[in-house]
Amino acid sequence: MTPPPSERLAKRLRRILLLIPYAIKHPGVGVDELSAKFDVKRTELVEDLNLLFMCGLPGYGPGDLIDVDFDSGFVYVRMADYFAAPLKLTPVEALALYAGGAAMASMPEMEGAEALRRALGKLGTALGTTDEGAAVVDVRFEADPSDHLKALQDALASSKRLRLEYYSASSGELSTREVDPWTLYAALGRWYLIGLDHRSGEERMFRVDRIKSAEVTELDATVPDDFDPNSYSGAFRERPGQATATFEISPRAARWFEEYYPVRSATTLADGWRSIELAYSTPQWIAALLLSLGDEVRAIGPGDVSDAVAGLAGEVLKLYA
Amino acid sequence: MRRIERLINLIAALLEAEAPMTADDIRRRIAGYETDNHEAFRRAFERDKSDLKKMGIPIETRQLSAFGDEAPGYIIPKAAYYLPELDLEPDEVAALRIAASAVLGVQEEAGTGVMKLSMGAIDETTSGARLAWNADVAASQPLIGPLYSAVVDRAPVEFDYQPAGTDAAGHRRVEPYALVHRKGHWYLVGHDDTANDTRTFKVARITGDVKRGEGSYEIPAGFAAEGHVLSFQGEGEDIVARVRFDPSLRWWPEQNLAGANASEGPDGSYDVEMPVASIDALVSFAMWWGPKVEIIEPPEARTRMKELLERAVS
Repeated sequence: MTPPPSERLAKRLRRILLLIPYAIKHPGVGVDELSAKFDVKRTELVEDLNLLFMCGLPGYGPGDLIDVDFDSGFVYVRMADYFAAPLKLTPVEALALYAGGAAMASMPEMEGAEALRRALGKLGTALGTTDEGAAVVDVRFEADPSDHLKALQDALASSKRLRLEYYSASSGELSTREVDPWTLYAALGRWYLIGLDHRSGEERMFRVDRIKSAEVTELDATVPDDFDPNSYSGAFRERPGQATATFEISPRAARWFEEYYPVRSATTLADGWRSIELAYSTPQWIAALLLSLGDEVRAIGPGDVSDAVAGLAGEVLKLYA
Repeated sequence: MRRIERLINLIAALLEAEAPMTADDIRRRIAGYETDNHEAFRRAFERDKSDLKKMGIPIETRQLSAFGDEAPGYIIPKAAYYLPELDLEPDEVAALRIAASAVLGVQEEAGTGVMKLSMGAIDETTSGARLAWNADVAASQPLIGPLYSAVVDRAPVEFDYQPAGTDAAGHRRVEPYALVHRKGHWYLVGHDDTANDTRTFKVARITGDVKRGEGSYEIPAGFAAEGHVLSFQGEGEDIVARVRFDPSLRWWPEQNLAGANASEGPDGSYDVEMPVASIDALVSFAMWWGPKVEIIEPPEARTRMKELLERAVS
């Protein structure tokens, strides 16, 4: 989908306001280097530079216009000292960077952790402070610590297959799996391992706290070229071919629920409850999820899902009889 | 002249202006606004101003006389526009660059952020090694930007809020003091006008938009976000539960609740004391483990489990 013209314009203007200070700080930077750095085609970059000939300060005489020279293939921008420093960070730029840094600082034995902490200290102050200098943005990632993170990192670094003892909420069982690790992934305060599960032959996400043991094997593991971590958000991902459960969820639970789980559809009912469709992997998993929601959930269907809920409830009820 | 050229000229002129420029100055002096049609100028200028503000360019409107009877002037204060010099060392820039490439959902924004911070730095291209971890920090949450700007500008905000628990949703007016991220969630800490006290709000429970209110305020001396968020997250955490893990699951509390009081239960099971925020949270935790986890204490939690399970069976 092509973004609307105003969004394209804003994106281009943002780039130009960054391009000028960069070219001023690096006189003689190559046109090709610059287009790689800003991830635009050479022709687009040349258009951006050509545009600057017409820009400058009121008067717009030879001493007022921005002076751009790139005929030789090397870029020189002069007479634009007011654009020598970039525009301050936007809120999302600043917070994305700060929060990403904080997540990284929570990794055990992270290389460069000390430099990162120094950087976060400086960035935190730049994000804004109280009159006394205390930061107004405070990010602590606080992902669950785990003894296994080290082994998982080692396997990733050396591209080796892992042998895991893993407790799966989908089966309610502990089992041994061989996994080619693709990435560690942190979301909602937890660490996950994403990789190829050799038992199912499919891409799977493993909660690190549910790994009982992790052993780095001698077998080589590879990451597919088309693996894109950006296809993940939150803690769950729907897989093709999964069955759908339907149920209604209370207004107070609906918002976080819909943020947390990739619901297929959600509509508001007359009394404010939300009617939800959610894909699920196994009856065991959907039953545990729906039971965990207590009386925030009602009208569970279809029949095989409500049977699974009743079945699991009956088993657990024996403990409380 | 194309619109983008006119916008660049407007930014340059307002950044370099020694005094605020009136609309009339802008029309006469800035290239791209020449037109005899007053209405056409007005429309073009208003649209430019609004689009630039949306991009985060700090165009300020100043009253030029005390009585407000003269046309206002416009200026971009240098201190509000330029990124302050952070004096980052090369290794600090390199560390931030790695962090930026690991952020999911807002990778492009994080990348632009690093580029701004590393303008003058020598470009040591990052090695080809693929990063072995990623983080979803929920910075793409749409309310985070407006709330952050409000904290920085000390601008009161209004929003509708749906608290956890049984309380009804309500309209809140808040003076924001801090924005805090814990375990994947964002919280706003600030002065709640209705409660007349400092309160913490989970951003995910704000329904609808955040509106800016009138006026300004100061963050009280000695304010620290820390205490407010901890007590909010735990909502006291004053319930101590005793939970029995099946022998086959003994490893889970041993690895993940190390340091908790624990004792041997019957038939090889393992009893662990754990602080919980509420009976509901405890019940939800236990349900996920099916028949392999049993709540022993408190008795209210057992009653609640029984009630919910009996309903689910029938």
